[in-house]
Amino acid sequence: MSATASPPTTRRWPIVADGQYDGSRIPSRVPTVLDVPEELRSSEDVLQINFGPNHPSTHGVLRLIVDLHGEEVVGVSAVIGYLHTGFEKSMESKTYWKGVTFPERIDYVGYQNNGLVYVLAVEQLLELEVPTKAKWMRMLLCELNRIHSHLVFLGTSALELGAISMFWYCFREREMLLDLSELVTGQRMHTRYFQVGGLAEDIPPGFYGECRKFVEWMPHALDDYKGILDRNEIWLERTQGIGVLSAQDAIALGQTGPNLRASGVDWDLRRDQPYLHYDQVDFKVPVYAEGDVYSRYRVRLEEMASSTNIVRQCLDKLERMEGMPWIADDRKVVLPPREELHTSMESLIHHFKIVTEGFRVPEGEIYVAVESPRGESGCYLVSDGGPKPWRIHFRAPSFVALEATATCLEDALVADLIAVVGSLDAVMGDTDR
Amino acid sequence: MTDWLRIPGYVSHRDGREMPTVTVETGRIREACEHARDELGFQMCVDLVATDYQGWGGQGVSGYIGTASGRDLMKPMTQGLQALPEIKPKRFSISYHLLALRHGAPRVRLRCWVDEGERVPSVISVWPTCDWHEREQFDLMGIVFEGHPNLERLLMPEDWEGHPLRKDYPIGGEPVRFSDEE
Amino acid sequence: MADERPTRLRDYGLQSERLLWPTKGPSRFEQEMGAEELERALGLTTLEKAVRWAQTKSMWPDTFGLACCAIEMMSIVSARYDIARFGMEAFRSSPRQADLLIVSGRVAHKMAEPLRQIYDQMLEPKWVIAMGVCASSGGMFNNYTILQGVDRIVPVDIYIPFCPPRPEALMEGIIRLHEAHQAGVPPAYERVGVAT
Repeated sequence: MSATASPPTTRRWPIVADGQYDGSRIPSRVPTVLDVPEELRSSEDVLQINFGPNHPSTHGVLRLIVDLHGEEVVGVSAVIGYLHTGFEKSMESKTYWKGVTFPERIDYVGYQNNGLVYVLAVEQLLELEVPTKAKWMRMLLCELNRIHSHLVFLGTSALELGAISMFWYCFREREMLLDLSELVTGQRMHTRYFQVGGLAEDIPPGFYGECRKFVEWMPHALDDYKGILDRNEIWLERTQGIGVLSAQDAIALGQTGPNLRASGVDWDLRRDQPYLHYDQVDFKVPVYAEGDVYSRYRVRLEEMASSTNIVRQCLDKLERMEGMPWIADDRKVVLPPREELHTSMESLIHHFKIVTEGFRVPEGEIYVAVESPRGESGCYLVSDGGPKPWRIHFRAPSFVALEATATCLEDALVADLIAVVGSLDAVMGDTDR
Repeated sequence: MTDWLRIPGYVSHRDGREMPTVTVETGRIREACEHARDELGFQMCVDLVATDYQGWGGQGVSGYIGTASGRDLMKPMTQGLQALPEIKPKRFSISYHLLALRHGAPRVRLRCWVDEGERVPSVISVWPTCDWHEREQFDLMGIVFEGHPNLERLLMPEDWEGHPLRKDYPIGGEPVRFSDEE
Repeated sequence: MADERPTRLRDYGLQSERLLWPTKGPSRFEQEMGAEELERALGLTTLEKAVRWAQTKSMWPDTFGLACCAIEMMSIVSARYDIARFGMEAFRSSPRQADLLIVSGRVAHKMAEPLRQIYDQMLEPKWVIAMGVCASSGGMFNNYTILQGVDRIVPVDIYIPFCPPRPEALMEGIIRLHEAHQAGVPPAYERVGVAT
């Protein structure tokens, strides 16, 4: 752990009725609600407006009920649930193989990581060995997806703050990424490429060349973004010092991922609790200590560079793995290749059983966490030994990120509200599940 | 090794493959969480999950697909003997997943068992992040957390009746022709 | 002389590939309207044609991005699938200024009321595109919380399948809407009635 991290051990968050804070900015009555202060409660100057579920900023369906005193935000509370899809209940009625299509749609911007966390949970309950080529490819696609997610964040946040041209720059690279995704998996988004046991199909020829081209181009694109925003006075005015979240508050509020790293806590699951092959690649984890909107922007920008580096290292490894298996051999769990279905009776029966009844996962429960672009994304899976999950729950980093809205908006103006909510990078599909 | 027995309200513990699970008395869960945060160093509560075990074991599934290490391909079935899942003490279990921000990422799952209608002390004063987690579990599972200042529905509309994630709540939706889902 | 009278949409100049397919039978719309009503509905004066041409060329969408489809909807604004070619890059935030409501994403019951409010706040003429399978029919989510098709609360002009639709698919839907409108097909609320 670096010297900047100093997690609290004995500091308590007090619930004190008269609203005293113990050095923390977390509101004392309800942590996620900023209450209008006493002296303003009966004032006529306080206007309550509704940043309704349909609003110009592009986060999706988040509703903020905001009390304004002039331009200052004096009260805020968030209402979510406008995109509640019932993933957890739906997946309880689908077998594990059929359920692979669901997790990706939860966090629809960082979709590979959600798919990954689900298949990791099932594989760990099955104690299934995944071939190393599949692990490297999973890493590569997850890092590409991280770049994708940060590009969408950057494009849309900048768009909201008025730097409209950033949107087109970011989406230009995003199209390149989606081309890569289409090359490998056939689908731009929500690829269902991560299956229990490995990957759905082999990596097609030509992918490595295209991916290299992207990796060579990405640093130039990042230089473009820095050139537009980094020394732009308006950008700096609107993001520095805004929406500060201290390290203690971030930990108390359960923040993870870039939001936590921007508050000065050096914590990254890829490095501290490595999964896949993250312990075999070198990458830099950016940490900034100010905890404001600008720090979160810088953390994500540098994470894009760091992800590009990881992708390059994965490509080096993968190019030497031609012809190796991409999915586990266990036919009771993994679908057989289609060519075999024409000749082997046993493969036909396995295919039939897996698709109709589903493979059975032994009884147990497990919680697996990965570092998604938004933070720690986790899957808690309880199995009763049957073909369908008994209980599946996804720990959504955006859900937790939105809990920090009230804390970040102490002494904020309306324009800062937009900047802060954008910088927390909450995807509503992830929040509402 | 961590001394789980010193947690207030300790009932039992079990070492799992990815984190140990410590079962705690429901009435003392808040003190247990404070102990875990202050003495054992688990500063962050990552998740709070409630699971409904109504109907557990009723399907009579046996462990045909064992683990890769414990599966004998020569004897695929359980020879006619059903290996039923272990019986659970109460209907609901609430799992608190905790994380310590140290090297090695130690995690622990604190668990308490709750009956229908039983109230659980809220741990919002220990970790403010549990505000929305507890509201979500109240909304979807119907578990009441005592001491929560704002226990209302979060994900479902305010006037929704019923708690959707319970096992006796139907999946809903509409019947689709030729589908085997009810 | 029945075969000389125009009886199909393609006879009114619609160029969509589906309609020009030689073996394709009459569409649902054509069946329902019948030949006489079709003529009455689609027979346009020059002024009407001009007005419709103008409406088609600058149909401004409303920012109604809900879920994954919203990300693909954002990418049609981006440079590769440039929707500014069609005059539609101005996504209006206020429904009062918007013509087209692209419902992109799954609609939960909680969101159904705001959706209907937004639709009601739009001024005629207005069109609705149900983008993606979740908006068209509930998609893969057949459960307690997702509205099984947005046409239960708003009348829909064009349904676009896929999950999520490629930007080209969304463009195809929009182009078909433009063509249909230019040919004279009335918006859905005139056919179905505003309150569905």
